[in-house]
Amino acid sequence: MTPPGPDRSCPLELDGVSFAYGRSMVLWDVSLRVRQGEFVAVVGPNGSGKTTLMKLGLGLLQPGAGQVRLFGQEVRSFRSWSQVGYVPQRAQATSALPVSVEEVVVSGLAARTRRFRRLAEEVERIDHVVELLALEGSRRSRMAELSGGQQQRALIARALVTAPQLLVLDEPTTGVDAEARSVLRESLRHLVEVEKMAVVYVSHDPEGFSGLAQRVVEVEGGRMREGHGQPAVQVAKG
Amino acid sequence: MNPFEFEFMQRAFVACALIAAVAPLVGSFIVQRGQSLVGDGMGHVAFAGVGLAFLVGADPVLGALALTVVAGLLLVRMGRGGLAGDLAIALIFYGGIAAGYLFASRADAAQTQVVGLLFGSPLNLTWPEVWVIAGLAAAVVVLTVALYPRLVAMAFDEEAARVAGVPTDRLVLALTLMVAMVVVGGMSSIGLLLISAMMVVPVAAAAQLASSYRATLALASAIGVASAVIGLLGAHYGDYAPGSAIVLVAIAGYALAAAWRSIARRAAA
Ligand SMILES: Nc1ncnc2c1ncn2[C@@H]1O[C@H](COP(=O)(O)OP(=O)(O)OP(=O)(O)O)[C@@H](O)[C@H]1O
Ligand SMILES: [Mg+2]
Repeated sequence: MTPPGPDRSCPLELDGVSFAYGRSMVLWDVSLRVRQGEFVAVVGPNGSGKTTLMKLGLGLLQPGAGQVRLFGQEVRSFRSWSQVGYVPQRAQATSALPVSVEEVVVSGLAARTRRFRRLAEEVERIDHVVELLALEGSRRSRMAELSGGQQQRALIARALVTAPQLLVLDEPTTGVDAEARSVLRESLRHLVEVEKMAVVYVSHDPEGFSGLAQRVVEVEGGRMREGHGQPAVQVAKG
Repeated sequence: MNPFEFEFMQRAFVACALIAAVAPLVGSFIVQRGQSLVGDGMGHVAFAGVGLAFLVGADPVLGALALTVVAGLLLVRMGRGGLAGDLAIALIFYGGIAAGYLFASRADAAQTQVVGLLFGSPLNLTWPEVWVIAGLAAAVVVLTVALYPRLVAMAFDEEAARVAGVPTDRLVLALTLMVAMVVVGGMSSIGLLLISAMMVVPVAAAAQLASSYRATLALASAIGVASAVIGLLGAHYGDYAPGSAIVLVAIAGYALAAAWRSIARRAAA
């Protein structure tokens, strides 16, 4: 039996998923569908399981029960990772060794660049994401010398460099000031409206996704509530 | 007296420079992953391998290579099984040094032979031994170049690398084998207790000065070679233990780099 090809219409689907770290249950019977070109915000208090949910969705953790599919394919057998971009929640972006912004961005292509020469389309894409995230001036800078907002944008550029159809952002505005936040918001607007990317945006801060989110889901006490088409701030309970 | 005229010095220079050039390449990835002590643990395991080889009359290099590879596989396994990396390393570390000396003393190995392995004896190398070291160094270079983009992605952010499609499990295994090759390649020249320093110290020095990962690697490799050459010259003229001299030169290099950086910073401020 050949597996079905990637289903563009449903980039991410979690169906009846439960998960425990050892004996402590974190999520019960949670379901989430993200459609092509959709911007879904995930909110919820600290420790409610938002990051865990994203890691399950990306196959970084295996659920105790339920199903996870990426582009219609079981996550365990999913191989088209260039379709997926992930910006992890930053414990700290500190790197023991010096690394330049360009190196961070290009590391998003690690699985693809087998050869030493970069393809023309890759060079083009690198330039595009660097420009999109307003990083032109700091390509050669050391990551450690950048502001929190610039570092976060470099990590987003890394996630975007394969031109994915699904972008998962976990708390992208932590430690980012208001101005940098608006740069980020404009970049995301471009991705959803022009590149038709599906975006899952995990955040405490409704301001980061207001005017962008088509749907807000709330994780609380290990369960999920959905508020279709309602204004973000109301559903998120402020 | 020109030290390069002696063939035993030529052999020492070639062996030490080669291993000091490649040790930081592998070291950079373990430092970045926060596992600076992995090389040290592997050194202890290699000692057990050598002790075992003495006991059964096998080739010490083969004994060391076999046991470090097995330990590497075990380490990766234990890490995946949830036993914290730190604890896994400690267990293998102490087991290795204890077993090594147990075997070596049972085999009645000469104390000088044991000390030579622990702290290096590059002046006693034969050409065939140097060629084995060169082969191991070449294999490390080939693997580093071939896996470079993936290793950088994984060392910087393992989860993001996995989502980018990098097979991190296999890559960790490859990195562990590369550590084993450096340890075995460096045991007779720099010593099992000191080779780990050559994986870490030049990298720490280079990190003070470079502004990219690539530059850090290149500079660390150069610092490694310079330390080997200066250390051996010092050992020759001052009659010091060569392995120790090399490591102390590298540490002095680190101190210089750190001082330079803090001066440059103050000048910029
Ligand atoms: N690796 C882990 N091992 C054990 N428990 C964990 C682990 N990671 C998270 N937890 C626990 O699981 C629960 C959910 O954590 P998670 O990080 O998913 O929450 P979150 O909603 O992302 O929180 P935050 O808003 O702080 O980012 C928390 O109680 C946390 O303590
Ligand atoms: Mg979180």
